[in-house]
Amino acid sequence: MADRKLIRNFGIIAHIDHGKSTLADRLLERTGSISKREMREQFLDDMDLEREMGITIKANRATVKHTHDGQEYMLNLIDTPGHVDFHYEVSRAMAACEGVLLLVDATQGVQAQTVANAYLAVEGNVEIVLVINKIDLPGANPDETALEVEHILGLAAEEAIYTSAKTGEGLDELLTAIVQQVPSPGGDENSPLRALVYDAKSDPHRGVICNVRLVDGVVKRGDKIRMMAVGSEHVVTEVGKYMPKATAVADLAAGEVGYLVAGIKTLADVNIGDTITHASRPAETALPGYEAPNQMVFCDFYPGPGTDTAELREAMEELWVNDCSFTYDPATSDALGIGFRCGFLGLLHMKIIQERLERESDVNVVQTAPTVTYEIAMNDGSVKQIQSPSEMPDPSKIMEIREPFCTANIIVPAEYIGAVMSLSLERRGVHKKTEYLSPARVMLTYEFPLGEIIYDYYDKLKSCTRGYGTVDYEITDFRGGKLVKMDILVNAIAVDALSVIVHADKAARRGRALISRLKKEISRHMFEIPLQAAIGAKVIARETIKAFRKNVTAKCYGGDVSRKRKLLEKQKEGKKRMKQVGSVEIPQEAFMSILEPEDG
Amino acid sequence: MGVGLYVHIPFCETKCGYCDFYSLAMKDRPTKPLVGAIVRELTQRRAATDEEVETIFVGGGTPTLLPVDGLKRLVDGIGAFIGGAVLKEFTVEANPASVDTEKIGVLRAGGVDRISMGAQSWHQAELTALERLHNPGDIVEGVRLCRAHDIGRINLDLIFGIIGQTMASWMDSLDRTIDLGVEHISCYALTYEPGTRLTALRDAGRLKPCDESLETEMYLAAIERLAKAGYEQYEISSFAQPGQRCMHNIVYWRNGSYVAVGPSAAGFVGGERYRNVPDLAEYVRRMDRDGTAEIERERITGATLAGETLMMGLRLNEGVELARLGIPAGAPLSPAVDRRIRLHGDGGLLEHHGDYLRLTPRGRLVGDAIISDLFAALHEGVAE
Repeated sequence: MADRKLIRNFGIIAHIDHGKSTLADRLLERTGSISKREMREQFLDDMDLEREMGITIKANRATVKHTHDGQEYMLNLIDTPGHVDFHYEVSRAMAACEGVLLLVDATQGVQAQTVANAYLAVEGNVEIVLVINKIDLPGANPDETALEVEHILGLAAEEAIYTSAKTGEGLDELLTAIVQQVPSPGGDENSPLRALVYDAKSDPHRGVICNVRLVDGVVKRGDKIRMMAVGSEHVVTEVGKYMPKATAVADLAAGEVGYLVAGIKTLADVNIGDTITHASRPAETALPGYEAPNQMVFCDFYPGPGTDTAELREAMEELWVNDCSFTYDPATSDALGIGFRCGFLGLLHMKIIQERLERESDVNVVQTAPTVTYEIAMNDGSVKQIQSPSEMPDPSKIMEIREPFCTANIIVPAEYIGAVMSLSLERRGVHKKTEYLSPARVMLTYEFPLGEIIYDYYDKLKSCTRGYGTVDYEITDFRGGKLVKMDILVNAIAVDALSVIVHADKAARRGRALISRLKKEISRHMFEIPLQAAIGAKVIARETIKAFRKNVTAKCYGGDVSRKRKLLEKQKEGKKRMKQVGSVEIPQEAFMSILEPEDG
Repeated sequence: MGVGLYVHIPFCETKCGYCDFYSLAMKDRPTKPLVGAIVRELTQRRAATDEEVETIFVGGGTPTLLPVDGLKRLVDGIGAFIGGAVLKEFTVEANPASVDTEKIGVLRAGGVDRISMGAQSWHQAELTALERLHNPGDIVEGVRLCRAHDIGRINLDLIFGIIGQTMASWMDSLDRTIDLGVEHISCYALTYEPGTRLTALRDAGRLKPCDESLETEMYLAAIERLAKAGYEQYEISSFAQPGQRCMHNIVYWRNGSYVAVGPSAAGFVGGERYRNVPDLAEYVRRMDRDGTAEIERERITGATLAGETLMMGLRLNEGVELARLGIPAGAPLSPAVDRRIRLHGDGGLLEHHGDYLRLTPRGRLVGDAIISDLFAALHEGVAE
């Protein structure tokens, strides 16, 4: 059994692209955990999609050995996701650590997620080791970066460790700092077992693999365990550590991090944040649990070309077994048929889930525009939550519609303050404060309706700050507002999948933008097609798609038959991808057009 | 119905900006190897089929650009191919400026009884816009020459929707064509085919295509004007005096069989479509080396055949027989087909009359959309 004094549990937190995964790779390499030959870039990011998008989605972990002053330490590295949508995963991972490395890119300085992640670490009461990375790059300014951190987060700049994950510079100092600054875990191996499930994944052969942090007690193969929140009991078939490949060990004891397999069939049977104890000698109280992931962004997935509802359902079930951070419920649309209403942590999460569905299960997904959850206060005093404009009750029975708000921190070079302020004003943002990180860089804090920033705020921010601006947000509360449901009528038929909930003051502009985009997406037909945006019976914007008068091939002789027939076959396939609303064919792209920037 | 024979001669004096046929500017290219290869292919194909040829169409390109001896070899080769069969029609395409007494004489002697000429327009500016090398006077002269050689049937092609064309100039071109007393007139809307110079110019914004409304008016005016002058419309672009319809083209539109020879030529024989390599030198090389220049061959059956029959048949005013779409007489239509027929019927675009389906005059204006729609419906009811 390992001496707890020689254990260090730590994570790495950083803004996206600040070099977290590279640093994790270097630590594995430096401690000899994997050989050069085995080394592939960013060992810990093992999903293809993560590699492609250059981000870490699921927290990964590894246990490495490191000798310091003649003592062999066991360093448990927990790699955490960096994106704004994955706060909850970061917080889970942090609860399994005593310390974190706060990694900041010396060429970029403090960014929005640096701040957001650091706040989570402070909340989680874990020790923060400040690491200024990428010092090998020509534009690196480590001293100024460290001062920014000191200024905004109050961490002493002189204690910062300068590294280059790329060249390996500063890694020895970093390992020393981990040993010296990160506290060893507490806990008692003689107390009843308490193990925190901080993550879980599904394995096709072994069922669910729980990633656990032992707080008290010891667990080993053959133990009968109980999930304290769920109440279910299982027999442990394997415990192990990530070395970094999963490797079985005899036991896991208080303070240690590893995995546990216990014949659990699906992820739905495991509550992330649950506490595992022994069935025969249960702990009295469970560890403080995590907050369940809170889906705030919703959209519908419908089967696309060549996919039917049953196939989509199967694909969703399969993915959900691997990642239950999203929700899905049956949904029906007049325009799109039978599909699923899905909830996500954020927009990136939505995109990732859609791509994983298409990639891993070979299905085609038609996705509707994302919306947020709205709270509807009814005249009779009841409150209901809706996730789709189509669920909107009769307006005469509604007292108030409330929308989720968030607090966003936006970090930009000072010269872009004006641009960011006008963008934010456009999005109904309320300015709360402005703080200077340094004379050249500033952090703006705003409150926004979540619905205003979920789809393109980030892109807009990037473009109005030449790519320098970063934003991170946290959802705070629901607030009432002048919100209305806007319907889109195509040839006088309201298309449910195109309805949106908008702020009354912005409805006309949004309506005009939306139907002018629809006009581009819908081809001319043999008849004129009016497009209208309406609130209730009141039409607020209107466009017309003209009919074509003449549409016939002038010449068609023997040599043209095959080519023309193939063209018709292609058109036939195209028609399959169209949704027939009345006698109008609407291409699937049209349903996504509501996603596009308003003035795009 | 007898079989057609199509011979493709890919030579033109220059390549016109709107043309998407396989053709080459001739310059000083030797024509002998091509004619030799075509005669060889005719011999091969004769050996492979025993169907009787009833109609012949030699097109291109501009077949009359072949030198006299080349033309002679070609018509001799064709003569050998048809053997003793009785032809209903033997058409050769020509350009008004490319015919001369000697060549017409050779063609007539070889059995040619119909000449199809690309008149296109009677206005020099429009001919220039189309990059045509002849002038209006050449049209008159060409027709005169044909008549002088006892060519009894003449078609003139006209184009509308030309950049800069007005309704008045279009009507003038029509009238002058009618005045010549030709038996057949084809009126084509100028189309922007992918890969042509004209399309590239349009896409680059360097020319503005004719307004769609004007083009529609021109088409409708042509139908009316030609009807008054005794030319019946029998296909989207084809107008003929009574008894003067192009029987060879009707073979295509009724989705009948035809042998095709020459570079890029596409044939449909014994239920199989084939296509020759669309490259002059390669065609000659393959005919020499392999005795065939086919690069594609496909058996056409079931829904594909029905789709083609529909696509071609609806171009004809007579329409298409349901039985030929795989729907037996009196049998119920599939819900998809039935719904579409009703929809377009209610819209006044399509007639379902007895066992025939045909476009109405209004439907003919938007034929592509209706054909595309029915084509998809036809396949919906058929297992893939």
